[in-house]
Amino acid sequence: MRSSFSTVDTTQLLKGVLDLAVLAVLKDEDGYGYDILRRLRTAGLDEVGDASVYGTLRRLFQAGLLTTYVVPSEEGPHRKYYGLNAAGRDQFNRAGKTWRTFAATMDGLLDERGVAA
Amino acid sequence: MNAVTEQDAYLEAVRRALSDLDPAVRDELLEDLPEHFAEVAAEGDATLVERLGPPEAYAAELRTAAGLGVAATPAARGLDDRISAVVRRARGVVGVADRKTGPLLGYGKASEFLRMLRPGWWVLRGYLVAMAITWLTSNGNEAGLLPRLGGSTLAAALLLAVCLVASIWLGRREPTLSSTPRTGLAIGGVFLVLFGLVVFDKADRYGGGWDTPQSVSGNPYDYVQDVYVYDENGNPLTNVTLYDQGGNPIQLGDPYRCQEAFYQAQAGAPMYPYCPNQRPYVVAPRAGQVSEPQAEPTEGPPAAGPSATPAPTATPTEVPTPTPTN
Repeated sequence: MRSSFSTVDTTQLLKGVLDLAVLAVLKDEDGYGYDILRRLRTAGLDEVGDASVYGTLRRLFQAGLLTTYVVPSEEGPHRKYYGLNAAGRDQFNRAGKTWRTFAATMDGLLDERGVAA
Repeated sequence: MNAVTEQDAYLEAVRRALSDLDPAVRDELLEDLPEHFAEVAAEGDATLVERLGPPEAYAAELRTAAGLGVAATPAARGLDDRISAVVRRARGVVGVADRKTGPLLGYGKASEFLRMLRPGWWVLRGYLVAMAITWLTSNGNEAGLLPRLGGSTLAAALLLAVCLVASIWLGRREPTLSSTPRTGLAIGGVFLVLFGLVVFDKADRYGGGWDTPQSVSGNPYDYVQDVYVYDENGNPLTNVTLYDQGGNPIQLGDPYRCQEAFYQAQAGAPMYPYCPNQRPYVVAPRAGQVSEPQAEPTEGPPAAGPSATPAPTATPTEVPTPTPTN
């Protein structure tokens, strides 16, 4: 019961920050869908759903924050690579700052009440 | 190969779950998925469903993350979906009409007003059921406005009472019924109303006939077949022509009633009586007046009268009999 509660919690949190997380893993290096998913998992976001990542990519692209290009692959289907464009970088910086401020506020709030990290 | 068909099946299931989306949007959304499924399949032995969950859930997550609402164009849906979309749209239209017409009736919504009429509908429904029973048992021969079962008015009253009470009782119980009988009641109600329209139409023709072509039935001289004119002494006049105030000959009766009339009928204004030999009264002549052919037409032809030369030829040839012959 307790663990499922915490799972829901993380999923809820992820919904708010998945955009920022995807932008972050694409900041330095372009990637295709599954690659991006793997980077997020490696970074520790185990709870992120596969379909959520693909949906988020599609939405960020629709919002004009990503560029895409297709790289053919010998074995299996071709891969669609995503990368940040200028608007994407700009958005990443702004959203990153917003998150930092928000996280700092939350940290402060919890620190005062002695919640361990 | 098995892996490929599994991926295809999964992809197809996701596509189906997104079938309400605009095809272009959906295809874009599905574009990355073959690669995704291939990667997932390459990772381990688990099936896609085990690894990713049911395709419908996957589709829902994809849709939410992509920021696409659940509502979308009804293009390329299953029949059920299309029907429910039509129903939803119809509900929307009805809802708007409900709110718009409400103020005209003096209520917030028209449905509030209609709800108050519900007991009235129960009564009407009972009546229509009684009519339907009579109609069906008489093979459609009872066309009146009362459910005269077997032609009996008493039966009509009893049947009406039973049906009204039953309908009202059912109406009060209706909210407690489950949806299937309620749907049945609604459909039955529609049929009853249609039936009622047919019956009322029939009864209207049968009883009144207001709108049938014989609408001149207001003429009180409709039954008149011939005109017999008698002078003050009771002598019958022949070859009389009648005119109205405008000088137009008055046409009454049936000019082809008998043979004499038939020959006469050609000659313009009608001469009465058409059939002098069939006169209804024969009056006993008084002394001194019998043989005098003094029969003058009581009304002279007006100046405008075209063939207005009534030939006053009295024919007192009858045997004097005192009273009406028929």
